[in-house]
Amino acid sequence: MYAFLSVASFLSVFPLYWTVVSATNSSSDIIKGSLLAGTHLFQNFYHLLELYNLSTALMNSTLNAVVLTVASVIICAMAGYGFEAFHSKAKDKLMSILLLSMMIPFAAVMIPLFQLTANMGLLNTTIGFILPSLSTAFLILLFRQSTRSFPYEMIDSARIDGLNEISIFFRIFMPTMKSTFAAATVITFMSAWNSYLWPSIVFRGDPSAFTMPMLIARTIAGNVTDHGVVMLAALIATIPTIIIFFFLQKYFVEGIAGSIK
Amino acid sequence: MKKILAITLSILMLFTITACGNGGSGSTNVGSADISADNTVTPPPDSDGAELSGTIVVWCWDPTYNIFAMDEAAKIYREINPNFDIEVVDMPMDEIQTTLITTAASGTLNNLPDIFLLPDYAFQKNVIQFPEMFFDITDSGIPFHEFASSAVANSVVDGRNYGVSFGAGTTIFAVRTDYLTEAGFTVDDFTDITWGQFIELGKVVLEKTGRPMISTSSGGDFISFMLQSAGASLFHADGTPNIANNSTLHDAINTYLELINTGVLLQVNNWDEYTTSFISGAVTGTISGCWIIGSMQTAQDQSGNWAVTNMPRLDIPGGTNYSNFGGSSWAISSNSENAALAIDFLKHTFAGSVEFYENILESSGALPTWLPAGTSNIYMEPQPFFGGQAIFTDIVGYTEHIPAIITGEFWSEVSVAVTNAVVNILGGADITVALQEAEDTVIFQMGR
Repeated sequence: MYAFLSVASFLSVFPLYWTVVSATNSSSDIIKGSLLAGTHLFQNFYHLLELYNLSTALMNSTLNAVVLTVASVIICAMAGYGFEAFHSKAKDKLMSILLLSMMIPFAAVMIPLFQLTANMGLLNTTIGFILPSLSTAFLILLFRQSTRSFPYEMIDSARIDGLNEISIFFRIFMPTMKSTFAAATVITFMSAWNSYLWPSIVFRGDPSAFTMPMLIARTIAGNVTDHGVVMLAALIATIPTIIIFFFLQKYFVEGIAGSIK
Repeated sequence: MKKILAITLSILMLFTITACGNGGSGSTNVGSADISADNTVTPPPDSDGAELSGTIVVWCWDPTYNIFAMDEAAKIYREINPNFDIEVVDMPMDEIQTTLITTAASGTLNNLPDIFLLPDYAFQKNVIQFPEMFFDITDSGIPFHEFASSAVANSVVDGRNYGVSFGAGTTIFAVRTDYLTEAGFTVDDFTDITWGQFIELGKVVLEKTGRPMISTSSGGDFISFMLQSAGASLFHADGTPNIANNSTLHDAINTYLELINTGVLLQVNNWDEYTTSFISGAVTGTISGCWIIGSMQTAQDQSGNWAVTNMPRLDIPGGTNYSNFGGSSWAISSNSENAALAIDFLKHTFAGSVEFYENILESSGALPTWLPAGTSNIYMEPQPFFGGQAIFTDIVGYTEHIPAIITGEFWSEVSVAVTNAVVNILGGADITVALQEAEDTVIFQMGR
């Protein structure tokens, strides 16, 4: 059993180790299969900065991911809460229709979505990027299911104390369900941070709007690939999601399990 | 209050969902782009560019190759036309392709750049599928006759020119001379030979050094440039696929099988393994587009141990030692408000300046398909990495002899079908049956 878990752990961790080590090696060393740390970290970093606008990509990715995460989590939480707290048969049917949207692949809606965004004059804007992902059926479902375990007595007593419905959501529901919010934050942030296809369409032709996944795509687009630069860019792009995940790990597990405070 | 909140939330949700899914009724007359139905209008040719002014927006990929070349071209052109400016946007090939598809499908052409780069294998397909996006530059004054005919052919549709070729993909056999010496051979033994001779020599090298001659990660690509070397295409002139009864294809596949069965060719799983195989010395050399020299030059410790010669030929009538793998061409967007300036710019740089090609050679290794550039003395300089061989002159010399072929609208589909057929044949399938299946698959995909 331990042997199996050890092998599984090794297989899971090895790609990350290899990325870290490769970021310090030259391209030819990586190709030759070097698995030890090298001395080319600063050289790779220099080439990365020389050829690509790393700081802009990092800032854009951060801005897009943070704005989308905050807006999406609040909207989906309100929707999920609304579906359950103000439950009716009609809303159940609406929820079923909503869940069907999870089955439509992005490629199927990509062109009408682009047309819509272009017509609204939102190409090359953060709003154009976040609008299609602002509400997702998965997040609404997550909040709706979590709301089922929420103690309704708290809502009733809040109403007796004179809180209006909006205040109940923000002052009672949100603090109580922070595990679910943490899980939703991690999922949305990672999804927004790693998003590539839609940003590459909506931010087309605007170098000042490039994101980290778009930058990585550029590092492997040439005739000659500098693997050291690719690995360093990939490593830098991974760091924020790792930080977010470790920071919210405890709540993430609880949130996915559906627990409340 | 409950109802109001519920209704508000529901409306908000419905709005965002419909916003995501709406517009699926197809492309209508949207966008502010007023694309002329006649995109074959040729802008007035301008002899010196002095009266033209503006900023050209260019989409292309690779900062060390295409983008670098564009920036250098801009420097040259500014000397002729000081009123010229350029904005080069780094966009990978896949993003350009995705953008063309979304743009065409949505009819929103007003966000296209003035000039964009397309890989040669996909150029005709895009012109045929999205003709409204391409400017016809046949009569623009660009001297297409000065380019290698095989390179120009990639961007010609119905006899009209839509692209300016850049970056030769001339096929070369790059080989480690130290390994050849170990086996008792020189590069001359591998020059102007047939595949049969190559296999016989390769067996000796394998026996004496333990190294296969070459490697590949894609049998389909390998067979494609074998075919082009004999002037054969996977299409008939009328655009129908030419697979099942293509005798040259049969010869190429049989040669490929023999290369594998004798161990002269090493099959690897992906592109990274392929580059690793020749850089690490697992194989004696490689046959690929000339741009591959950039990859081997990353291993500077091997400087002086490489040489370049032409590829082997199929031993059939029309077989040559020259082919093409890769390369790309500049297209001018039909929506460009600066089309005349864009044409003048390309005419005086990529299609007219030896100095430009001299400037980009050292840093990017980009070789011209515009043949007058090959006369420059710089190309004749010996290259230390290649043991003092003047490889650039040699490669430009090969470029002139590459047979032109039809790539057509469905090149990618045919290429995938042939690659799959080769995999099946390697797995034991009958070659005739496998190729007939490939042809049937392509005909189905073409909707014919």
